[in-house]
Amino acid sequence: MKKNISFTILLISSLFLIASDLYSQDKALISPYIQLQYFKNTDDNRVLKTTLTYSLNRMELPLAGMEIAFYSDGENNDLLGTGITDDKGAVKFELADDLKIATSNDGMWTFNTVFKGNDTIEAASTEIAVKDVTLVVTYTEPDSIKTITVKSYSLIAGKEVPAAGEPVIIYLPRMFSLLQIGEITLDDNGTGSLEFPGDLPGDKEGNINVITRFEENANFGNVEKQKLLKWGLPTDYSLPTTHRALWTKTAPKWMIYTLSVLLTGVWGHYLFAIISLIRIRINAKRKEEEDNYGK
Amino acid sequence: MQADNKLIKDLTPEIENTSFKWYITFFTFLGFFALGIYGLIQQIDKGHIVTGMRDNVVWGFYIVNFIFFMGLSYSGALISGVLHLFHTGWRKPVIRMAELITIISLIIGPFFIFFCIGRLDRLYFLFIHPRIQSPITWDVIAIMTDLVGCFIYLYLSFIEDFAILRDYKGLKVPPWKKKLYKVLSLGFTGTEKELKILANARTIMSVMIIAIAIIVYSVLAWIFGVTLQPGWHSTIFGPYFVIAAVFSGTGLLIILMWIFRKVYHLEEYITKRHFVNVGVLLTVIAAFYGYFTFSDYLTKWYGSIKMDSILIDKLFSDYYSLFIFANYIGIILPCIIIAFPRFRTIPNITVAAVIALIALWVNRYIIVIPTLETPFLPIQDTRPDWINYSPTWIEWSLTLAGVSVFVMLFMLVSKIAPIISISEMQEQDKNEILK
Repeated sequence: MKKNISFTILLISSLFLIASDLYSQDKALISPYIQLQYFKNTDDNRVLKTTLTYSLNRMELPLAGMEIAFYSDGENNDLLGTGITDDKGAVKFELADDLKIATSNDGMWTFNTVFKGNDTIEAASTEIAVKDVTLVVTYTEPDSIKTITVKSYSLIAGKEVPAAGEPVIIYLPRMFSLLQIGEITLDDNGTGSLEFPGDLPGDKEGNINVITRFEENANFGNVEKQKLLKWGLPTDYSLPTTHRALWTKTAPKWMIYTLSVLLTGVWGHYLFAIISLIRIRINAKRKEEEDNYGK
Repeated sequence: MQADNKLIKDLTPEIENTSFKWYITFFTFLGFFALGIYGLIQQIDKGHIVTGMRDNVVWGFYIVNFIFFMGLSYSGALISGVLHLFHTGWRKPVIRMAELITIISLIIGPFFIFFCIGRLDRLYFLFIHPRIQSPITWDVIAIMTDLVGCFIYLYLSFIEDFAILRDYKGLKVPPWKKKLYKVLSLGFTGTEKELKILANARTIMSVMIIAIAIIVYSVLAWIFGVTLQPGWHSTIFGPYFVIAAVFSGTGLLIILMWIFRKVYHLEEYITKRHFVNVGVLLTVIAAFYGYFTFSDYLTKWYGSIKMDSILIDKLFSDYYSLFIFANYIGIILPCIIIAFPRFRTIPNITVAAVIALIALWVNRYIIVIPTLETPFLPIQDTRPDWINYSPTWIEWSLTLAGVSVFVMLFMLVSKIAPIISISEMQEQDKNEILK
């Protein structure tokens, strides 16, 4: 018995110790995930974008309000600038047009992004190497066949080097997302073409915005060209105006009539039942008065 | 109004004295109710995050319970209305129970909607900004209309009994109860004229109650049916829901008959004949219900619409046991038990009713939850616990609280009114004497 009590006390004490030990443990630092992307948009503006996130319960959550530094040239680490992450954990840095960035022998630029970390979050950094590429897109209609022709090249030591074998994707913005029209794999001359479908709906005038992209390309990053063309079928999306529909303020007449007839019918019968109850009460009162009078 | 002393004493077992058993049972259920209230406080304090409902499954146990209780209510109305309208000879001992099921379930059901609403403070928007096009507005109007109608119908059926209790000299109750009977009986004395007025009103209200029960439960079904969700967009949902409701209500009626018979020793009034008759009704409705279920799933399966196919696959994989229980065992087993005279004993019929009732609740569950777990547009970066629903203790506690309130209200009514209509039974006696 005594042995049992001692054992129980020992067990409880051990549990307390384990529990207090668990409590006293320092909170583990958050290990962030940092991603650096390169964008060259339709106006040839170049942008670096860093996204800082962390994983909690298998869910990727943003780290907002963090200072991120951008550097060029991996070896020299020239500071380009800094920025603060937004609610999505992202920060963009636009590269100036006249910025001189050292290139490697194969024409690559190297960019670095660094998050220094703080008391709760570990430091993180990453780098990307991209090649500046020129994307030339022409839109022609030979024999009424709408055609997109793409030519792409990089300037290395003043010489045009074709972006041979690289995939270029053509998109159209639709209601919820981008619709992929097709993919062109560039030939040895860095050129390729695609026949554009003629049955895609555009706006009222038939305008559609055609996007041509290198997307998450290992050499060029994200490079895109956009052009508004009258290549779509003119489509009028406005619905015929109606004053009485499911979605209007005023309900359809048939609905109001049906509801009114039903409710009048039902509540009318309720009224009859209530009047019957009143009649019973009146009748009983009258009888009571007669009985009292008789007495 | 006069009635046989024995009849009054037998059918009002709790009006004069409250038994120890009554207190024990009542306070046990009050405890369950208190647990539900604690759960509700937690939910109000911390928000709906304490429930199992998430982005996809926004309707959980609460809606299942709402449909279930409303179904019980409408079925009670249908059963009592039909029995009264067609003057079914054996109806008398069971009609009061059906009427009480109607009212009590109708009071409890809508509370589950309130538990479901995130912004209860905006509830009055339904009344100040109603849109006739919205099925939710139809439902609000329908439930309120039904509630008023059922109260009138129930009251009409109680008047004669209140008059009997008022005039019964041997009734040892506190003065407030006597006064209550006097007020509620409206001075009814049972003259020919009064009886005629009352009979007319009851007949008209029984017709109304049948019609309203069908319309109102169809409206509830249309809340699901008019959406384009897989599994819900069905033209037969209205009649399917009505049949399912009557199925569950008949099951509950049998269970209540068994409980009242056992607890209050009413073997003389609720006989095997009543169990068999209501049991046969249960079997017939089970057959209809099975037919509707098969028809609904067959058309969905044959149509092979992508989302319907995914849903049916889910029902036959993730929800396999629940689906089989609700749509096979819950229908076939009660039919087998009642169809063969050899199995037709009172306990067997009651067991069949319990199976039917639970199966119906499960049926509601597999109508609501798997559909919500099968969205047309999957949300980004979704964790499994956001897609798959599993109820928390708070939802369980509030469900238990709903059942407890049902029992407690039945017990409270038994303290004021006869559990079997004395006037109806008296009429039966008269008829038997006349025969």
